[in-house]
Amino acid sequence: MLIIEANYSKKIGLPGYSSHQFSVSLKSELTDISQVEQESARLYRVLQQSVDSNIQQVGFLPGDPAKPNGNGHQNGNGNGQHKPQDDKWACSDKQRDLILKITDENKLDKAKVEQLALDRFGKGVKLLNKLEASGLIEELLEQNGQSKPRNQRFGQKAGAR
Amino acid sequence: MNAVVENGAVAVLEPVPIEKLKKTVSASRLNCWLQCRLKFYFRYVLKITKPKTAALHYGSVVHLVLQQWNMARWRKQPFDLTKLKQVFDAGWLEQGSPINWDGEEPEQKTSAWSVLEKYFTDTPIKANEMPEAVEVAVEADLGKHGLPVLIGVLDLVRAGGRIVDFKSAAKTPDNDMALHQNGVQLDCYSILYREGTGKREAGRELHHLIKTKVPKVIITEAGAMMEYQRNRLFRLMEDYVEGLDRENFVPAPGFGCMGCEYLGNCRKWEGGRH
Repeated sequence: MLIIEANYSKKIGLPGYSSHQFSVSLKSELTDISQVEQESARLYRVLQQSVDSNIQQVGFLPGDPAKPNGNGHQNGNGNGQHKPQDDKWACSDKQRDLILKITDENKLDKAKVEQLALDRFGKGVKLLNKLEASGLIEELLEQNGQSKPRNQRFGQKAGAR
Repeated sequence: MNAVVENGAVAVLEPVPIEKLKKTVSASRLNCWLQCRLKFYFRYVLKITKPKTAALHYGSVVHLVLQQWNMARWRKQPFDLTKLKQVFDAGWLEQGSPINWDGEEPEQKTSAWSVLEKYFTDTPIKANEMPEAVEVAVEADLGKHGLPVLIGVLDLVRAGGRIVDFKSAAKTPDNDMALHQNGVQLDCYSILYREGTGKREAGRELHHLIKTKVPKVIITEAGAMMEYQRNRLFRLMEDYVEGLDRENFVPAPGFGCMGCEYLGNCRKWEGGRH
């Protein structure tokens, strides 16, 4: 068995001479050495998107991030662009609500849902487009025994499509 | 729900309101609308359901197995023909109401599995190719064009944005004719893909599983949807909405009537307004 291990780390500057950094590592099994190049590219994409989606949440910052300190200097991109973006989802509002509802009702671990999105699409839940979010919703429903037949996916009864 | 049953056909007593049908549209509905508006009326307004045909069951089980095969790749599970055969056998048993097989069920079942085995051998999709999407429901709000919300389920989107639709057929298709006949469906899928991803699809593919004595697999490829194809689809959707407004449910007698499950209902139609 072959194992490939990858790590991606990023450090960014924040207002008030602050900075934060985040890194993610993961291991993947390969059945064939010829898969290294493809798997390596995939892991890089997965890890980078994961770090990028999480590092936007800057959490606590010393002082008021809206005001630069005395000399007007800001470290890195201290121009207010690092505001928390918790509410921004790339999918539709309806899909966002459904993902949250399924997670909540089935008491799913949010980290596991995030990991599922990373495994399947190489990006975090909030970065999924509508097509990908639809796939994630189907997968979550199926894992929780709530998947609907093809002709009932739009909340309609059979034959209504 | 109240319903009447006659010769295995079931009709819901309360018709679906026209206003409701105008809010959404799908490739299936548009194709039925093009084929025969009276058939559309029986199927989507009166919601008369008919017993499943042998051909429909055959196609459903083939689709079920292909879906599981695609899902397994998506989940990075190894190809397991034995498992797929189990899915096939279980799916075949789930026939719902009795199907008229004309004594040919064993042959049909053998044929369905043979064509799947042939597909797994001949498919251009590599075992390690990760799908972009499998059996996903998508909708596209076309309100800015004065059109309904388009809804649909994509069988498969291959890596790189190639939309695939699986077809089981009795005869080998002519490529140009296959693209012409499936144009509405493919163009609907293109719109759904673009809405769902914000990207233009790389191409469209029809994967035909041909159930001849010696099974065959034919792949018909089409490029991305062109602007004129989108315009044609939008004109059709306009006709759908306007026709529903006028309750324009007239029959279209032709070759298609021979296999139509609503032939009996059609012949009783007296030409009145609905």
